[in-house]
Amino acid sequence: MSRADSPGSAGSPGSAGSPGRHNRAGSPDSADGPGRPDPVGAAPGGGEREPDARFTWANERTFLAWSRTALALVLGGLAVAQLLPPFPGVPGARHVIGIPLILLGGAIAVLSYTEWQANQRALRRGEPLRRSLLPRLLAGTIAVIALLSAVLALVSAVTGHP
Amino acid sequence: MSTPGGGDDFEDVDPGLAGARTELAWTRTAISFAAVGAALLRNHPVVGIPVLALSLLVWELGRLPRNPATGATRTRHLRLITAGITGIALAALVITLATGW
Repeated sequence: MSRADSPGSAGSPGSAGSPGRHNRAGSPDSADGPGRPDPVGAAPGGGEREPDARFTWANERTFLAWSRTALALVLGGLAVAQLLPPFPGVPGARHVIGIPLILLGGAIAVLSYTEWQANQRALRRGEPLRRSLLPRLLAGTIAVIALLSAVLALVSAVTGHP
Repeated sequence: MSTPGGGDDFEDVDPGLAGARTELAWTRTAISFAAVGAALLRNHPVVGIPVLALSLLVWELGRLPRNPATGATRTRHLRLITAGITGIALAALVITLATGW
């Protein structure tokens, strides 16, 4: 994995870290490189300490990339409902496409925050990171919406122009 | 990849690049908020103006010094972004539902 593909650096949610880097987060020798910020003291309660700053920042960039994805989905849903011409013969078709996109955007915004929190906690404890739910959610929902859009366009083409 | 610093990649030599990339990610996020605000401004200024203001705030937050010890502050900043997007999504939902079917 090249530097340019490091978590979140390319603005791509799909590049949210590799297992190799995750494993390094918890290794005891992961924070002794030259010029690298040292982890700060252990948290009370034991077992937790601030991870290498680079992992914290990578986690933050991944969250920001998902946030931008969420914003794009909300704006896309709004654009479908507001800017597309009506589908002849299928009333409400624009809403059927646009509303799920907006809901997906809102859900991704909230879920990306909970994943950021969980990842940050895992980094502090030196535990492996959980597999993200978001790529599957995004891919699955967009596939369903695309299929729905195709069906609506076909129905509109058949029924809208007798 | 071995580097003169003894680490296995360039970031081991210069961790400052990771901070710069994070600042750029904040900048891209602020631009995204600004784009959404600008898109909403014409037809829905009541929503668009606060979103534009939020984009300025996100821009400023991205420029704050990044200290790993300030975890609680960063949590608040990220929570603000989540709340902002959730609010925009709710407003978009209301606008969409109010649009003629």
